[in-house]
Amino acid sequence: MVTYKQDMPPEGGFNPYEWAARKPKRLFGGYTQFALFAGFTSIAWIFYFRWRNTKKLNELEMRESRVAIEPFLLAERDRAILKHYRKNRDEENELMKNVEGWKTGTLWGEPVFYNPRNRYVKPALEELLAHMSYREQEDFKYDKRKRF
Amino acid sequence: MPYTNEDYLPSYEELTVPELEISSAAFRTAAHHLGKYCDNTCKEFILCRTEENDPRKCLNEGKEVTRCAYEFLGKIKKSCYAEFTQYMDCIDHSGLSMEFKNCRKTQAVFDACVKENLGQDRPELGYFTKVRLHKTERPKAVPDPHILPERLPEPPKFENKTTDPMKGPRWF
Repeated sequence: MVTYKQDMPPEGGFNPYEWAARKPKRLFGGYTQFALFAGFTSIAWIFYFRWRNTKKLNELEMRESRVAIEPFLLAERDRAILKHYRKNRDEENELMKNVEGWKTGTLWGEPVFYNPRNRYVKPALEELLAHMSYREQEDFKYDKRKRF
Repeated sequence: MPYTNEDYLPSYEELTVPELEISSAAFRTAAHHLGKYCDNTCKEFILCRTEENDPRKCLNEGKEVTRCAYEFLGKIKKSCYAEFTQYMDCIDHSGLSMEFKNCRKTQAVFDACVKENLGQDRPELGYFTKVRLHKTERPKAVPDPHILPERLPEPPKFENKTTDPMKGPRWF
């Protein structure tokens, strides 16, 4: 005797099985998509070029401000470096006064540079730093730092 | 040092003038007006520096430049101190590189003050970076003559000594 009930398909059978790939429905057609792309890009270009122009003008203004103050900084720096040359020369005179045959600015009488036209010579960095302490050298070479 | 005791180096008295003891923010704030106010002096100094290529010969021009800036900043301090300070505060807190673009309002106030008291407009954009001609009384810098060592004697003439290769020994 059968005591259970057999499950059977619903009345009228199962729904049809979807086996084909379903394509998503397109929001816009091809022409609309091209038009949207062109429009969006044009507007973006307008904004980009306007931004770039503003940026260039701002940079020009900054550059101009640097150009404008250059002579003032240069004049001050020239005086400072010439003072430093003089200080170093005095220091060398003082240091080597007891050494016989030593001539300041030369190596036992031989000049450092071959300079027949009497042009301005820039000393090497080591010569500028020669009579300084290590800390002063650091301050001279780099921006003077705050020490704690 | 490559400078001997005979070489010319200016003394401390010549080199000591009242320097501009102002911060970079003040320089940035004043830059355009300052550059325009001292335009001719700056051109003269830079011309000297580029022509001579020697800071020792351009000391007077350099002092003139610093004096001009001193004069301008003094005038600003006398007449536009509050406006200048307000603009400088803005510039000082305007980004890492002290940009002008965040400070247009205070800049307008400062410009109006300078226009009123010094009668000077802010130079138009591109004024300092374009090529500007400068008329000067300054004589052209002539470097010292380059004295070369004496010329070596001419080499002997070899035309008379060479033999015609076609007339040489031919038995090789």
